[in-house]
Amino acid sequence: MANLFGRVPIGLRSAVNEGAFTRLTLILIAVVFLALFLIMPLILVFVEALRQGAGAYFEALKDPDALSAMRLTLTVAVIAVPFNIVFGLAASWAIAKFDFRGKNLLISLIDLPFSVSPVISGLVWVLLFGSHSVLSPWLQAHDIQILFALPGLVLATMFVTFPFVARELIPLMQEQGTTDEEAALSLGASGLQTFWHVTLPNVRWALVYGVLLCTARAIGEFGAVSVVSGHIRGQTNTMPLHVEILYNEYSFVGAFAVASVLALLALVTLGIKAVLEWRYGNQLASGHRR
Amino acid sequence: MQISIRNITKQFDRFPALGGVSLEIGSGELVALLGPSGSGKTTLLRSIAGLEHPSSGQILFDGEDVSNLSVGERRIGFAFQSYALFRHMTVLNNVGFGLKVRPRKTRPSRAEIRERALELLDLVQLGGLENRFPSQLSGGQRQRVALARALAIEPRVLLLDEPFGALDAKVRKELRRWLRQLHDRLGLTTIFVTHDQEEALELADRVVVMNKGEIEQAGPPVEVYDDPATAFVSEFLGTVNTFQTTLSDGIAEVLGTDFPVADADIGEGPQRRHGPAIAYVRTHEIELLSRERAEGIPAIVRAVFPFGGSVRVELAVEGYDTPIQAEVPRAFFEAGEVRVNSGLFVRATNARVFPQYN
Repeated sequence: MANLFGRVPIGLRSAVNEGAFTRLTLILIAVVFLALFLIMPLILVFVEALRQGAGAYFEALKDPDALSAMRLTLTVAVIAVPFNIVFGLAASWAIAKFDFRGKNLLISLIDLPFSVSPVISGLVWVLLFGSHSVLSPWLQAHDIQILFALPGLVLATMFVTFPFVARELIPLMQEQGTTDEEAALSLGASGLQTFWHVTLPNVRWALVYGVLLCTARAIGEFGAVSVVSGHIRGQTNTMPLHVEILYNEYSFVGAFAVASVLALLALVTLGIKAVLEWRYGNQLASGHRR
Repeated sequence: MQISIRNITKQFDRFPALGGVSLEIGSGELVALLGPSGSGKTTLLRSIAGLEHPSSGQILFDGEDVSNLSVGERRIGFAFQSYALFRHMTVLNNVGFGLKVRPRKTRPSRAEIRERALELLDLVQLGGLENRFPSQLSGGQRQRVALARALAIEPRVLLLDEPFGALDAKVRKELRRWLRQLHDRLGLTTIFVTHDQEEALELADRVVVMNKGEIEQAGPPVEVYDDPATAFVSEFLGTVNTFQTTLSDGIAEVLGTDFPVADADIGEGPQRRHGPAIAYVRTHEIELLSRERAEGIPAIVRAVFPFGGSVRVELAVEGYDTPIQAEVPRAFFEAGEVRVNSGLFVRATNARVFPQYN
């Protein structure tokens, strides 16, 4: 055994460093994978969208149904995201600053949407508000439309996106502890003042980061929204659903044009995210997590 | 302001942090709560502040029961060990925070808050740094900002949790002297927590030694140092040698000399006068004698540390398992008597003897 080990120049390199060949292979695999699975599709989206020229591309985007899908998507996001900001702040505040029974259960529950299939997330609302549900007669009597309408879309989106803000804030708040709050209280600040002047500013960049991820997901969500939408063209179709419909109708330019808008939004999100990580990385919980 | 602490207890989950602590603190006094970690000193300080709520007992400020007042209502100035400065605010806004959050009726104008904060920054010798952020300050500067911030609300008492804990030795000594001067100038009742005996003895008017959630002894520094009431205080203060010995009619022999048992009344009935005992002898209470005098007990020098005004010597003495530590004047060392492996005689000039109850 001794001569076998003797051939390796142990003293010349760090213990975790691999040989040049291994390193090159690993890097190559990663690059090829990224190119094939992420960059190629992205380029293809734009290539397909512009296949019949810029004129057809913008024509497809000006289609009333496409515009309505964009409007609906933004409306859903604008309603769902603020709700999740409030929920995320409340939950992370409670988890990070107080000790109570069932805390771990709450943390697991917050993660639930990550582990549940989006279809189930949509189906929950169908079971709750659908025509065979217990609530159905009451809803009909009061002429309240939840499924196949904006409320259903918002609910499904909220369910799917609610971990994003909380997930971002909890580790950071836990790490910061409660001494800053104690200091503020000892100086005579009220609970609300402490929150506005101390707690919130301490997590502001993590909050922006969480909101960004939450918004991106809210705009891009397909599965859960698909279940509750009803696919009424020009009325309950969000952008991802509209892309699917157009594609199934062989309207490729239209489908890829709308898809390119989604892709652009994703790229903008990625850009802001990169800036945040570069500028405020030390104030982001995910900076520690990764 | 005068503070009365009456029979405070505090339970953390089943583990008692404070077991019935009573203490009177006079107006303008500078008091140190001294003890090892887990002795309950910080819990006591936080209880006075209102950051912790005792399980039972009362806390009175100038005779008024404040036990049910929140931390904000007690008007205390609290300085945290980690400073807890608001990192997104400038030094000026940190100091002005306590005034800014006052209800509109009592809140000074923006200009007045600014002026007051600048005054306080001058007081803590940080004039000119008002626009810095906490991250741009040194540890000592941060601590002084934290003090200025606490003073801004015109507190009735200043409570400091390990005020110098996170600083290096030199800054620590400077800041200690500075805090003493500040206290003398402001005349504010001040209580600080420390595990550093030197800090407590040098800075405080009165030292409260705590152990296992109870007060072992409270008194002026000279008193607790020279006249420790309990075995714990003897062992905790100063550098001591510990000897196992035996009492017979209230007398115990330590290094060949007889000492009487300490006359401490620890509230457990009359002191025992016979049986196992423990004796504490400070390093400077060990006398080294040259060979010719032949008094005391023979010893062999094992190591010498000639740094500073006195020289520390480690000696092996027959019949004692652990080496004995002695501190002798430098002149004695320079006379050439003390060398490694040289033979000497040792004697105890003083010893505090406590019966052993367990």
